Amino acid sequence: MDADLCTPPVPTAVLLTRVWRVVLFAGLLAVVLTGCATPPPANDPEALAEFKQTNDPLEPTNRVFFEVNNGLDTVLLKPAAQAYRFAVPGGVRTGIHNFLSNLGATVQLSNDVMQGKPRRAGDTSMRFLINSTFGVLGVFDVATDWGYPNHETDFGLTLANWGVSDGPFLFLPVLGPSGPRDLVGFGVDMVQDPFTWVGATPGLRAFNWTKFGLSALDSRERFLDSLDQINKTALDPYATFRSLYRQHRTGQIKELRDDNRATIPVWFPQARTNATPSQAR
Amino acid sequence: MTMANRRAFLFLCCSALVTPIARPSLAQTPSDRAAAFVRTTGERILAAMRSTGSVAERRKIVGPIIDQAIDVDGVAQFCLGRFWRTATPDQQQRYTKLFHEVLIGNITSKLGEYKEVKLTVGRTQTRDDIYIVSTTIERADNPPTTVDWVVGNVTSNPKVIDVIAEDTSLRITQRSDYASFLSHNNNDIDKLIRAMKDQLAQN
Repeated sequence: MDADLCTPPVPTAVLLTRVWRVVLFAGLLAVVLTGCATPPPANDPEALAEFKQTNDPLEPTNRVFFEVNNGLDTVLLKPAAQAYRFAVPGGVRTGIHNFLSNLGATVQLSNDVMQGKPRRAGDTSMRFLINSTFGVLGVFDVATDWGYPNHETDFGLTLANWGVSDGPFLFLPVLGPSGPRDLVGFGVDMVQDPFTWVGATPGLRAFNWTKFGLSALDSRERFLDSLDQINKTALDPYATFRSLYRQHRTGQIKELRDDNRATIPVWFPQARTNATPSQAR
Repeated sequence: MTMANRRAFLFLCCSALVTPIARPSLAQTPSDRAAAFVRTTGERILAAMRSTGSVAERRKIVGPIIDQAIDVDGVAQFCLGRFWRTATPDQQQRYTKLFHEVLIGNITSKLGEYKEVKLTVGRTQTRDDIYIVSTTIERADNPPTTVDWVVGNVTSNPKVIDVIAEDTSLRITQRSDYASFLSHNNNDIDKLIRAMKDQLAQN
């Protein structure tokens, strides 16, 4: 606390810029030291096709960061997530998750609008209004029961909806699996997030870091079992995570594109509804 | 309650009991058959999940269900991808046998997490001769998971050929795992077989 009082207040945005400078430098250094993947010889067309389909030209570098992240995870994040699961009851963890998810509503709404998905934007707005009030600052997800389901979205998906392809695979320090499109998406989402810009007082800064720490614990705790399972069953966990990430993103993009629900109210004669089953409630 | 009323009541009770059981046998469309097959298989697996025996015991119960309900040989061949053709018949045989054991081991170890589960069968989609049956799996303290079962050969002998959980296909993920392992080990299938053996010994 003393340190907080002595140092001049620094907005989170500036702090994160410093973090990014270090990350970018480490990334460039790793590329220089480890180099790129060697494509298979041209006389093996099947292997060449597989290499192109995998689209992971920086594989050696990516694997270095994969190992670094695994190391960090083993000593830091995983034990913290296990302790979090042990100490905090399931109901409270769900409340924390809902609260954090509700804080992301502005970014979510902005992306829904840019994606041209009015029903999703409506869902997000109604969820924020209902959950912030009846759901006690977002702790209880009342809106889902009232017919406004949640959906995942980010600027990476917005770009995908605009026709930007995912590009080569990237495994980033701390952030994990990504690609140029999703990395840009991550940056834009951070800029879009009002919380990035409000960290100028010690109180708000503490709030932002708590939010950051809790988000990390919350997401890691949710993946405790499935990540253990993957590490136990995969012969090459890196390749398995790469495949899972790509498939998951493809699924999200498909769901986004197929979500063409009409915006007219339920009681009004429906001209044409094109709802996906998971959203038609 | 008069005798006639009681008889009517009993009749209603009986018909209510009989109707849901009779429905699958009356259903003749392949879509309904695929859905009924997934429901029966799911319930058998759920029953195995609830059995509180040791891992070895569970393995004994789950093994036959998997062999009967999943096209394990077909999935094994798919997962080896282009390397299936370059493998010798002996390698193919050893690999397929190991794949059976690995799959049963993976599913059994997963069963421990899946107690108190509710499975709801949703709609069925068709793509060529393949039927995709959507289900929702609900567990306490967990958000519901969507799992799609890809069923082939519905008219004669239905078998599950893929399981897609939250947009990720089991066999595509497994294939990329093996493909990457092989490309980093001089495409040597014997090394893959050895790694699978080590994996079995560890779990």
